[in-house]
Amino acid sequence: MSGRTISQERAAANAGAWLARLQRDDLTAADAEAFDAWLAETPDNAEAYREALAVWHEFEAVAPEVGAELAELGRRQALRQGVSRRRWIVGGGLAAAAALTVAVLPQISGQPDVQVYATGKGEHRRIALSDGSTIDLNAESQLSVAYSRKGRDVVLADGEAIFDVAHDPKRPFVVEASGRMVRVLGTQFDVRNRDRALSVTVARGKVQVSPVAASSAQAFVLTPGQRLRIDPEGVGRLASVDPAEAFGWRTGRLVYRDEPLADVVADLNRQFVRQIEISDPELARMPITGVIVIDDQDAVVARLGLMLPVRSVPSERGTLLLRK
Amino acid sequence: MAAPRSTERVDDEGPLYRAFLEKREALLLFLAARTRCMATAEDLLQDLYLKLHGLDDEAAVRAPAGLLYRMATNVLVDHVRSRDRSARRDASWRQETRSTLAGEDVAEEAAADEALIAQERVRLLAEAVAELPPQMGRAFRLHKLKGLTQAQTAQAMGVSVKMVEQHIQAAVRNLTRRLRP
Repeated sequence: MSGRTISQERAAANAGAWLARLQRDDLTAADAEAFDAWLAETPDNAEAYREALAVWHEFEAVAPEVGAELAELGRRQALRQGVSRRRWIVGGGLAAAAALTVAVLPQISGQPDVQVYATGKGEHRRIALSDGSTIDLNAESQLSVAYSRKGRDVVLADGEAIFDVAHDPKRPFVVEASGRMVRVLGTQFDVRNRDRALSVTVARGKVQVSPVAASSAQAFVLTPGQRLRIDPEGVGRLASVDPAEAFGWRTGRLVYRDEPLADVVADLNRQFVRQIEISDPELARMPITGVIVIDDQDAVVARLGLMLPVRSVPSERGTLLLRK
Repeated sequence: MAAPRSTERVDDEGPLYRAFLEKREALLLFLAARTRCMATAEDLLQDLYLKLHGLDDEAAVRAPAGLLYRMATNVLVDHVRSRDRSARRDASWRQETRSTLAGEDVAEEAAADEALIAQERVRLLAEAVAELPPQMGRAFRLHKLKGLTQAQTAQAMGVSVKMVEQHIQAAVRNLTRRLRP
């Protein structure tokens, strides 16, 4: 692994997405403005984009030569395959044994295989892991997975994910987020690590949440239907919830009970490139209770208007919410 | 990073010019997505700047950034249609001799050892593309190296345009990680 930060990794993933999007045949000014907004988010974004651009331009400059070289590589490979196919007929047993050794090697080398996954705005991703576990990654999230013979270690650096963990008593599944470890054997649960606040909701099985560093902070054991929230000051609170609500984002439904509009808008802004802004702080504090279906952004904004006395006007970054 | 000379002596203090100066870097990076190199993007930015003179500033006051990006999008789409793509399609893609290297500014007047370094780099670039997963590599070759549009690439591969974009996105990520300086 290189020594890049999570933010840089995410910027690199998004830089690729933007460079691809800007190649669209039907590129519009809206794409351009959304690109501008993304660049402005963090200096890492411009840097990652420049890096991708440098490689992109390099290919542009020598496209015919690279094409010719690829054709040459293809010819040579075809030639080699012809040779090895003949050898296979002669010494098939030997070749099969060699192939098996190669396949087993990563397992016995003891080096965990680390994979990094990142999602951008509005992007959801399902990750199928080698042990049968799955991870659903919400928008603007970043996690890494390290599997070894001794354990399954996941770091949720930022964002939210639902874990569906295959039972394996010999290899505990541990999720690290916001200075806590969530340890499980086989279960389904949601971990949310946003703005330095951690939230863990369990649907099935049992999980333990404890501090990563040795400290006097409390450890919690959660059972199905329980949610633990730890605020940025480290204060934890347990509550009974319907797990289906916390898991709703996977199917495009966000469920809120007395959440301030600012938090709801922060969630929505992770799902859409066009950003929603709130005109005044008092409006930002107004509580929302209800279900927001994430489909078309205009429809979502219209639904907000049904839940609160707000109206929307177009703004430079997207949409501005005003008090009615 | 040097600004084009004429932007340094902006005497007009209108909101459109201020927005241009503020957005200069972002506009450049936007334009560069489809140009051959940064220098061409600078040229396009200069064209865009010159076009600002003919505009009624009052009309742009409400959303100067929006207007700038509409103009930049038009400049880019026109540019691509008139130059890069057509030039590339006419280029000798099928010509598989190394002599085409001489047509490139890098190698044009380069000394023998520089040409050798350039050749070695071409080999590295090609190997990186060859090692992409097959569909991703095919999308990249058709779209980036052969210069097909995303729609043409989709048609050639029998997949959706969205899928092509995803392949290109993943290819950019993969190649950048591998080839960045």
